[in-house]
Amino acid sequence: MKKVAIIAQTKEGQLSDTSIQLISFLSSFSPESILLVAMGEVKFASIPASKSVDVITLSEGLWTDSSAINPLVNAVEGYAVFGIKSIQVDNLLSLLAASSSQEMISGIQQMSFSGGKFSISKSIFSGKASLSLTSETVGYFSLNRNFDFSGNAEYGEQSVGSMSTLTTAAGGKASILELKPITGSIPLPDATLVVGAGRGFKDPGNWTIVEDLAKALGAATACSKPVSDLNWRPHHEHVGQTGVKISPNLYIACGISGAIQHLAGVNGSRIIVVINNDPEAAFFKHADYGIVGDVNDILPRLTKKLQEHLN
Amino acid sequence: MKILVCISCVPDTTSKITIDPSTSQISSQGLTFIVGPYDDYALSRAIELKESNGAEVIVLHVGGSESEALIRKCLALGADSAVRVDGNPTTSTQIANAIVSYVNQNPMDLILMGKESIDYNSGIVHGLVAGALGYTHFNPVMHLDVAGDGLKLEVEMDGGKMDVNCPLPAVLGCQEPIAEWKIPSMRGIMTARTKEIVVLPLETASQIQIVKADIAETARKNKMIKAEDAEQLIDLLRTETNVL
Ligand SMILES: Cc1cc2nc3c(=O)[nH]c(=O)nc-3n(C[C@H](O)[C@H](O)[C@H](O)COP(=O)(O)OP(=O)(O)OC[C@H]3O[C@@H](n4cnc5c(N)ncnc54)[C@H](O)[C@@H]3O)c2cc1C
Repeated sequence: MKKVAIIAQTKEGQLSDTSIQLISFLSSFSPESILLVAMGEVKFASIPASKSVDVITLSEGLWTDSSAINPLVNAVEGYAVFGIKSIQVDNLLSLLAASSSQEMISGIQQMSFSGGKFSISKSIFSGKASLSLTSETVGYFSLNRNFDFSGNAEYGEQSVGSMSTLTTAAGGKASILELKPITGSIPLPDATLVVGAGRGFKDPGNWTIVEDLAKALGAATACSKPVSDLNWRPHHEHVGQTGVKISPNLYIACGISGAIQHLAGVNGSRIIVVINNDPEAAFFKHADYGIVGDVNDILPRLTKKLQEHLN
Repeated sequence: MKILVCISCVPDTTSKITIDPSTSQISSQGLTFIVGPYDDYALSRAIELKESNGAEVIVLHVGGSESEALIRKCLALGADSAVRVDGNPTTSTQIANAIVSYVNQNPMDLILMGKESIDYNSGIVHGLVAGALGYTHFNPVMHLDVAGDGLKLEVEMDGGKMDVNCPLPAVLGCQEPIAEWKIPSMRGIMTARTKEIVVLPLETASQIQIVKADIAETARKNKMIKAEDAEQLIDLLRTETNVL
């Protein structure tokens, strides 16, 4: 296959595990060359891959209009460009795709390449269905975070090839007034364990038991839409059709009824546990493990059990 | 200010999705359609801007005539006019290119749409439109205010939020709490009847072939644990799954 490029964020100079898996996955297509476009600092000197990976680091700044991204459009010309779904990665991929008059497919769950053709399965209707697509020409790809990388071959570490930095072109006109990072909690989209809580908690003061359980598990906290609408919890914790979509290994839903719009954001979870005092709650039908009980009783007991295990 | 609001018409959030065996595609039988919830937020904010700052609001939809009732609803909410690009688009690029060719003929100051449509969940039409037009792009926008010649936005990003100055023209993907959903007034419904819906042909194509759609089956264990044995959950998660 022709040349492949991967757009990836870095955290403290390192790539995420999924980005590394993506590089291995693309290595199996035997590309002519591999280019990593890092949306942040790079502190590593080698990457597991089939061949040496060239690295371009994007300078800080807003890569938010086609004049700003022009240097990058030129750098990835002739490449098939891939990324793992995130707000910034999808935004940049879509701007780049249109700036270079290429088509893009997002929400990719499975993908193969043979005979010059991509066969792709894309998740639709919030994971309720999938769409099979083929294309010979599509140039931009965004893979879901729970993309199926099983069966990836193992590659040895290759030292990084050429290293360079790209700066946004002077045409970029937007400017940042203030950055407001979320601190002190695990970002929901990255979390592998999530404890979600709903209106069943009745008062924002009752969230201590949710936070205690999340802390004992090392999990992130999430909530249903009414809870964030009532300002009991911050908006970024709202999961569902109109909120964040999560696909953790474990989702524990507490005091949440299981409305279809809530399920749309969480049904990508590998294991779902439901705790609700109403045996008829719709969520139990979508649970791997269910407990009919009062959250005020059950949650502290689970926390205690987890803490005993740790000691 | 001229604002274009692009809307998707999608199955209601409670719809049961099925496959039509004769076409292997998603069946539209028995589905009720709504304006995409995120697009509805975008439209509501555009109407608010019209009321507070004065603006012309045009609604654009790429799709078939069955969507006209929903387009009328947008007019009843306060949009001034509407455009329907008539056709049956199958990919984000096709929709984006239809919007781009309209805007090339009718330049806009601001293009708003939802951060994603809730049917195909692609979330890239705004980026594709911005890239093709050379407009500034932000997504997902949670607050939008007019500031001087441009906009001041609060935008979600990976791991937090940021406040930005955004010059016009711009294309923005919107999400709550940018505005509250609105309900059309009686007067709005009456005046919408006489507002114009311009119909244009869909002239853009896509090189992506759709083979078929499938329903995702997720089998769940459905194991119940008695409240008095709740602690067993931790053991079961450790022994029956490898999530802990
Ligand atoms: C267009 C649209 C989009 C939407 N998008 C979303 C979305 O993205 N995310 C979302 O979550 N919702 C969304 N909703 C709202 C959704 O329909 C539900 O209203 C919402 O999910 C209900 O939240 P809840 O389960 O927290 O509250 P409720 O439905 O009020 O349920 C509370 C549950 O807590 C249980 N409970 C009460 N007390 C206790 C106790 N002491 N111990 C244990 N259990 C208890 C009750 O039995 C009940 O099941 C959307 C709705 C629409 C129309």
